[in-house]
Amino acid sequence: MGLLESIPTHMDYHGQKLAEQIFQAVIVVFAAVGFVWGYYCEQFVQTIYILGAGFALSCLLTLPPWPIYRKNPVSWQKVVDRSEVTDTPSGKKSKRKDRSK
Amino acid sequence: MKQCRLWANTIFAFTLSVLAFLTFSCFLTTSFNTNAANVVVETSDHIVKSLFTPYGERSDRGYFALSLQTDLEPIFNWNVKQLFLYLTAEYKTKANRLNQVVLWDKIIPRGAKSNLHLKTIKIKYPFYDDGNFLKGNENVTLTLSWNVIPNAGLLPRIGGSGSTIVSFPNKYNQ
Repeated sequence: MGLLESIPTHMDYHGQKLAEQIFQAVIVVFAAVGFVWGYYCEQFVQTIYILGAGFALSCLLTLPPWPIYRKNPVSWQKVVDRSEVTDTPSGKKSKRKDRSK
Repeated sequence: MKQCRLWANTIFAFTLSVLAFLTFSCFLTTSFNTNAANVVVETSDHIVKSLFTPYGERSDRGYFALSLQTDLEPIFNWNVKQLFLYLTAEYKTKANRLNQVVLWDKIIPRGAKSNLHLKTIKIKYPFYDDGNFLKGNENVTLTLSWNVIPNAGLLPRIGGSGSTIVSFPNKYNQ
């Protein structure tokens, strides 16, 4: 199962913001087009169908974590080895050696 | 996968909010329609009998043959689901200041034939009076009205612009 675990399943923050803008824009555009088309052919059900298509498209564009949503990964600090730290600049917290000693 | 469910929920909720806004806009596009139409109502063969109602009272019951002509096609639009037509008889008697009796109704869904040319049909519901005041009554007004049933919005009741007066004879037809 190594392959399944290696598929990334999250987006970074900029990616999430982009995804939210994309799905809102897609749905609103399809809603406007659907409303005009429904008014033209005098059937409100057409508006609903077109909005449904917009919903499906925006799901396809924003639900899977496409690579464009991972362009700005969070830069985590490096992992710190516990035995090396003695005191930190803030002075408040300091990692101590194993307390059992 | 939890992220995926949350996102799917968000997108779906947004879609439903947009749909609610579209439905309200659909209502707005038709909220100023008058939904009026001309109607020609004619009757013939007026008779009145004195009979027992299903409740055990002896009351006047009126009969006549009904003819209706109207074109309701302009009333249908993208926000109309169906029209409910009803024919009302309105009159005044010594017992009641206002009597209103529905004698006939019809449902016309969108897409069905809305150009009515009905000749000498029977009324659907019995025309009983609350008393014995149909005999010799000269002033029974028949009006065709309709209830517009929309996809979204209000349900207005519109009276047709034509009506006819029915007079009943002064003796019973037994």
